[in-house]
Amino acid sequence: MKHYEVEILDAKTREKLCFLDKVEPHATIAEIKNLFTKTHPQWYPARQSLRLDPKGKSLKDEDVLQKLPVGTTATLYFRDLGAQISWVFLTEYAGPLFIYLLFYFRVPFIYGHKYDFTSSRHTVVHLACICHSFHYIKRLLETLFVHRFSHGTMPLRNIFKNCTYYWGFAAWMAYYINHPLYTPPTYGAQQVKLALAIFVICQLGNFSIHMALRDLRPAGSKTRKIPYPTKNPFTWLFLLVSCPNYTYEVGSWIGFAIMTQCLPVALFSLVGFTQMTIWAKGKHRSYLKEFRDYPPLRMPIIPFLL
Amino acid sequence: MAAVAATAAAKGNGGGGGRAGAGDASGTRKKKGPGPLATAYLVIYNVVMTAGWLVIAVGLVRAYLAKGSYHSLYYSIEKPLKFFQTGALLEILHCAIGIVPSSVVLTSFQVMSRVFLIWAVTHSVKESEDSVLLFVIAWTITEIIRYSFYTFSLLNHLPYLIKWARYTLFIVLYPMGVSGELLTIYAALPFVRQAGLYSISLPNKYNFSFDYYAFLILIMISYIPIFPQLYFHMIHQRRKILSHTEEHKKFE
Repeated sequence: MKHYEVEILDAKTREKLCFLDKVEPHATIAEIKNLFTKTHPQWYPARQSLRLDPKGKSLKDEDVLQKLPVGTTATLYFRDLGAQISWVFLTEYAGPLFIYLLFYFRVPFIYGHKYDFTSSRHTVVHLACICHSFHYIKRLLETLFVHRFSHGTMPLRNIFKNCTYYWGFAAWMAYYINHPLYTPPTYGAQQVKLALAIFVICQLGNFSIHMALRDLRPAGSKTRKIPYPTKNPFTWLFLLVSCPNYTYEVGSWIGFAIMTQCLPVALFSLVGFTQMTIWAKGKHRSYLKEFRDYPPLRMPIIPFLL
Repeated sequence: MAAVAATAAAKGNGGGGGRAGAGDASGTRKKKGPGPLATAYLVIYNVVMTAGWLVIAVGLVRAYLAKGSYHSLYYSIEKPLKFFQTGALLEILHCAIGIVPSSVVLTSFQVMSRVFLIWAVTHSVKESEDSVLLFVIAWTITEIIRYSFYTFSLLNHLPYLIKWARYTLFIVLYPMGVSGELLTIYAALPFVRQAGLYSISLPNKYNFSFDYYAFLILIMISYIPIFPQLYFHMIHQRRKILSHTEEHKKFE
């Protein structure tokens, strides 16, 4: 059997990215993508677009090498699709980060002119800015380095809806927290400390779950497994819920709401909780459908309750 | 717009009862529908609502004949209007439990907008009551037709006249209702501003503020994109449903 050689070049720069020798003639594009991921792990198969012509159409995963119009040395051109969905999340998350800071620094035309670029005299306001910014920076970094997306793209309608949601709520919350007439929490430093503890624990928890989920599915594979607790205590929540990442996310926002004692934050938490519960129930249902031996004690999002 | 939304959403899927509402337009609809117990309940519900709105209609006519003028006619039917319009909240429940195949979201939107107008504007701002008559009349006629339409549909015995009325009178009743609603909200504005009604300002311990005056203005503005959409949807439905029936009649 004659083996093929496959070289993969970057579609834009024509740079030689990968050279595969001894490729079976009946190998599929999907298999070639998997081989390519081995040398470039950041480009897992779902992100790859391979084509015969740099400006041509993407080859399908099912296409077989020997059926393509190539010689025994096949040249394929690579384009990174992953940027598409990462771009969406980056926009969704960079917005709130930036918008909140506009209010924090009291940029002109938001509050009265005498307040332009002034700073709040309440410690909790500064703390809240740090927490809010930390949350969205964490999300941005996770989008870039942690998450593995199963879909390459997102419909435009969704992008618009999501951005409106994130950016709108961020502006609404930030307006009140950074307002010159802001009223600090009723129970003072005690309330803020407790809230901060809740927030930090939940942020760590949420991150731990994201890492655990990432390790569950190796780069490029499409296998689905039941997530289980690891050595990290934050992942022990898997014993009780299917989607502890959502549980921790709700917890973070509740913490933030208690910290700022701001009704819009509480409303944002409520809306987020509603949406995440819907997602968690869906995920839980698909776990149950797929795995006969799925742990019966687990609830979708709230231990024992929901 | 509460008037428009009510009939539009209802037309699309059958808000008060009767999936036959939209059913007779599309021959491909599967005949599932509510069970016998649910059907009986819905028939009773729709009959009661038809009766309720008839009471309001009769009340209006009698009050006009007695007083000889349009002034304060609202007070003569204030209680049944509040009762029966608020009772329509049940229709959200009907969608939620599935005995009516409408979207919960759409039905909620239409009923809540009606309830909002009745309680949060007309009831809350006594001074807005003068323009109320315009939309009350529009709603009354619309609802009598709509609920009787559902009643007959559920009983599989829909007179063409009712179907025709439902899909034709809206042409006049919608704009009439919308005008009444907008005028009423507009009339309420200065009093809301003056009394600071339902508004909260900073500073306060919830770190929240709400300006009901601005909110009402936003509501009025929202009629601009929403009303034309609903109105033209209804016109489209009319063409579809009334011409379909004409063809059916040819083959009878």
